[in-house]
This record gives sequence, structure tokens and C-alpha cells, in this order.
Amino acid sequence: MDTLASLLHMSPAVAWMVVKIVIVFSAVMILASVWTWVERRGSAMIQDRIGPNRAAIFGRIRIIGLQQLLADGIKFFFKEDLAPTDANKALFWLAPFLAFVPALMGFAVIPFGRSFTSGGHVYHLSVLDPGNGMGMLYPLAIGGLAVYGVLVAAWSSNNKWAILGGMRSSAAMVSYEIGMSLSVVALFMTTGGYDPSEIIAAQGHLPWHWNVVPHFLGFIVFFTCMFAETNRLPFDFAEGESEIVAGFNTEYGSMKFSLLALAEYAHLMTASALIATLYFGGWQVPFVANPTVALSITSFVLKLVFFAWVFVWIRWTLPRFRYDQLMHLGWKVMLPLSMVNLVFHAWRMSQGH
Amino acid sequence: MGVVVKKVELSWLDRTYVWPVMKGMGITFNHFIKQLFTRTSKRYTIQYPDMKKEMPAGYRGLHELKRFEDGAIKCVACFMCAEACPARCISIEAEEFSDLNITQGFEEKRPQVFKIDMLRCIYCGMCEEACPKDAIWLRNDYEVAAYDRLSMQYGKWDLMNTYAEADGKERITQDPMPSAPRRAIAM
Ligand code: SF4
Ligand code: SF4
Repeated sequence: MDTLASLLHMSPAVAWMVVKIVIVFSAVMILASVWTWVERRGSAMIQDRIGPNRAAIFGRIRIIGLQQLLADGIKFFFKEDLAPTDANKALFWLAPFLAFVPALMGFAVIPFGRSFTSGGHVYHLSVLDPGNGMGMLYPLAIGGLAVYGVLVAAWSSNNKWAILGGMRSSAAMVSYEIGMSLSVVALFMTTGGYDPSEIIAAQGHLPWHWNVVPHFLGFIVFFTCMFAETNRLPFDFAEGESEIVAGFNTEYGSMKFSLLALAEYAHLMTASALIATLYFGGWQVPFVANPTVALSITSFVLKLVFFAWVFVWIRWTLPRFRYDQLMHLGWKVMLPLSMVNLVFHAWRMSQGH
Repeated sequence: MGVVVKKVELSWLDRTYVWPVMKGMGITFNHFIKQLFTRTSKRYTIQYPDMKKEMPAGYRGLHELKRFEDGAIKCVACFMCAEACPARCISIEAEEFSDLNITQGFEEKRPQVFKIDMLRCIYCGMCEEACPKDAIWLRNDYEVAAYDRLSMQYGKWDLMNTYAEADGKERITQDPMPSAPRRAIAM
């Protein structure tokens, strides 16, 4: 431990930054790829099936089918990489990255553990230190960029189903963004700051002080909007086998497709991290006032994994919406609800609570 | 006349949408937990090459030609099965092998060749129904597959040994009694 601490003191700030970036992004990517398996296995369990459990190393060692990830990866890697004839080649190549990068980048400001002081220096466990002036605005803005991934993928592949899927999902994302942002604004008001670490600190360690209790309406709105944002099932309008083939990734194959799929799961991870941070106290450990760093990281990861699982769980519980129902829900229900939430909290604050 | 569709009146709790969603999630979670803690052998899915389904009695799978205890074939080559077969996939050639009944003017018959084309067989069980000697029946093996068409032609010895291993019987490859050349019958 001492050598670790002295190593930390000696290494320049840049090295600490690089380590954080590597850890956070590789963790998110690993979680995202594991989640492709969790999704399949979990859905199988929910539907009384068994799911992918047969992939094995040397045909022998199967760890409950986890090698399916590797097998999928290898398979995608060796698939022929086709681009449609009249596709816009440059954009077609760019789109998976446009989808993937924003999904990962949203994670940058989220504190995944308690800040700690060592050798007279404060170390923050988030890629961008708090007080960077962007705070929660950054993940929201980056989340908005995710539309481009879908839309560019759809547009560049020169396919009418793709473009229909892209249009639908971008319309959904844009309309749910407003409700989402408004419910977050209510949080900013009650917290008095928009930095994630401030929001977490304001929530404290008692579960009934976490934002989900006073902001229950806001939580529902935010949670619902996150589904629309990540294009997850009750609102997965980017795809739809019965209507528009595979939607925006109809023309994608090989690694590009797997990158698009991974982007969805990375987005899911970011979304669950946001939910955990904003409404469930981030790294706060229930009933422990000053948790150790390791404990706080564990708490955060557990919350994140739980919400990621809820995403999967809901996907296999609810049927899809119709498109007009989605728009109805977005504009006529979620938006007014988030406004009610905002006004209610403004009123409550004006009463001096 | 149109059908009157009765609209379901939802209570206010159900109309919030949140509560029904939670109920639904409860149901799926129940399934999840149940499936998670069920042993693999008890699940609905039978993981085929590792586990096999126990076929019910009366299942019509691969045929077997029955035999007597001494290994003699029960079939008397009466051609009833070949006649009854809707797929016309049984072909039989008869032979004589004993003078048991010679005084009555006929000899014991048995098939020299008894061939079923399993590619054409529809496993209808008509041969079993038709057989007067109960010499052929369809049993529970459903794994009838081969790499070429020729191996799907099951001959007499194939059909007599189809369940030899399953029943712990000996494999037999020849009749206990040699065939007798055809003779003119003295009246
Ligand atoms: S099961 Fe039916 S089709 Fe098959 S050999 Fe017997 S009678 Fe013919
Ligand atoms: S009906 Fe029975 S006895 Fe007659 S030929 Fe067929 S299997 Fe043999």
C-alpha cells in the first residue's frame, strides 16, 4: 500500500490521468461487451430458455458460456467488411465511431469513487476532476451527440429502411432529451450546483435522502427518457424487424456492426452510471458516513450493474410502443411531468425547504 | 354484424403505467429466478446431444425386426407390411429354410432380403399394424441419420440389430438355420 501511495505521489498528474482514462474506459468497454452476453443469457432465463452456454475453450472449458463474447468477437472480426455500392463510404466508416465515442465519453465526468487525499494532494476518482466547469451539462450534451451516430449510419448506408430507422430514432432521442434535461434541471436547483460530485455529496449516505425520494417524479421521467436515449427496447425505434428490417444498421456487418452494437451497450452503461449518480447517491454507501475508497467504488459499480440489469430486465418485460404512442408519451406526458416536477421543486424551495 | 369489442376499464393505478410495469417486472423476475435455480436437467430445454428426450410408449421411431430366443427371425415373409406400407419403402425377398410343414404342402418361409428405405419411410407404423406375426415394430430411436443415401437403406441384419445395444441383446449376423434349396414336393 505504501509503495502504491509513493508511486502515486511520484507520478506526474498526466500519468494519473492516463491511468484513470485507461481504467474507466476499459472497464466500461468490458462491461459493455459482457452485457451483450448478460442480455442474451438474462433474456433466456426470463423466457425460461437457457441461452448461449455452449461456447467453450478447446471444446471443454465453458464458464457458463462467457466465451460467447470471444467467439462473437472473433466471428465479427473475420467477417467480410462490405459497404453498399452507393453508400457514402467515408460517413459509412465514420458512423460506428460517431456512435461509440459519445457513448463512452459521457462517462468522463462521473465520479466512480470517493476522492481521497494522499501526500497532501487530493485525488479525484473521475476522469475529469470536479470543478471543470462542465459538470452534468457535459454528459447531457454528449448524450445529444449520440443522435449523430445513428443518423449518420442511417444516412450513409443508402437504404430506405436504414434512413427510416435513423429518422425515427433521432426524432425520439430529440424529443425525450427535453424531458430528461428538465428533470435534471430540477436536481440542479435543489442541489445548488451542477457538478456530479456536488450532487453526490448533497445526497449524503442515507438512502431516503437520495434524490430518488424527493425527486421521484423526476426519476421516473429521467429513467424513461434514458430508455429512449439509449434506444432500448420499449422505445427501440432505430430497429424493428417487422417494419424496417434492422433499421439503421441494416447495411452494417462485420466489425462495424459489432462496434454499433457495442456502442448501444456502452451507452447503456453511461446511462446507468448517470442514474446511479443523479438519483441513487453515486458512490455513497448506504448508512456508511465516510466509506473507504474501495468500498465507495464497489458501491458505485454495484449500483451501475444493477441499473444496467434493470435496462435488460425491462427490455424483456415490456412490449414495444407504437411510434405515435412514443411521441405521445414523449411530448404529452413526459414533458409536462418534468415541468410539473420542476415547478413543484421551485415552489418547495421558495417555501424554504 | 360487427363484433362488439369490450374495452377493459383500467383502474387509475393501472393507468399510471408505472405500477403495471412493476408488476410485469415482478413476473419476469420470478421466471428469471426460477430458471436460474433450476438444475439444467430439470429445465424445459433439453440440451440435445448431452441429454435426450425419453420418448413415450408408443412412439414410432426406428424399426426393429423381432427375433426368437435362438436368434431366428420372427418374420415369415408374408409381404403384408410391404403391401400396407403407404410409402412403398419395404422390399422383401423370401426364401425357404425348413421342411417342418412339408406334409401340408408348404415350407417355412423367411425373408432373405428385408430392406426398408429409411429416406422414404414416413414412420406411420402401418407395417407394425399389418404384420400378422408381430415381427416388426417401431421403437423409440429417433436418431436416424447418415452421411449418404446408401446407408439409409436398412437391410435385414441392420433391422434385426437396431436395438441390440439398447436391449443388451447379442448382435446377430446370420440365421440359426441354413436356407433349404427349393424342392419339388411329392404329392
Ligand atoms: S412405418 Fe410406414 S412408411 Fe415406414 S416402413 Fe412401416 S409402413 Fe412403411
Ligand atoms: S408383415 Fe410381418 S411377417 Fe409379414 S413380411 Fe412384414 S414383417 Fe414379415
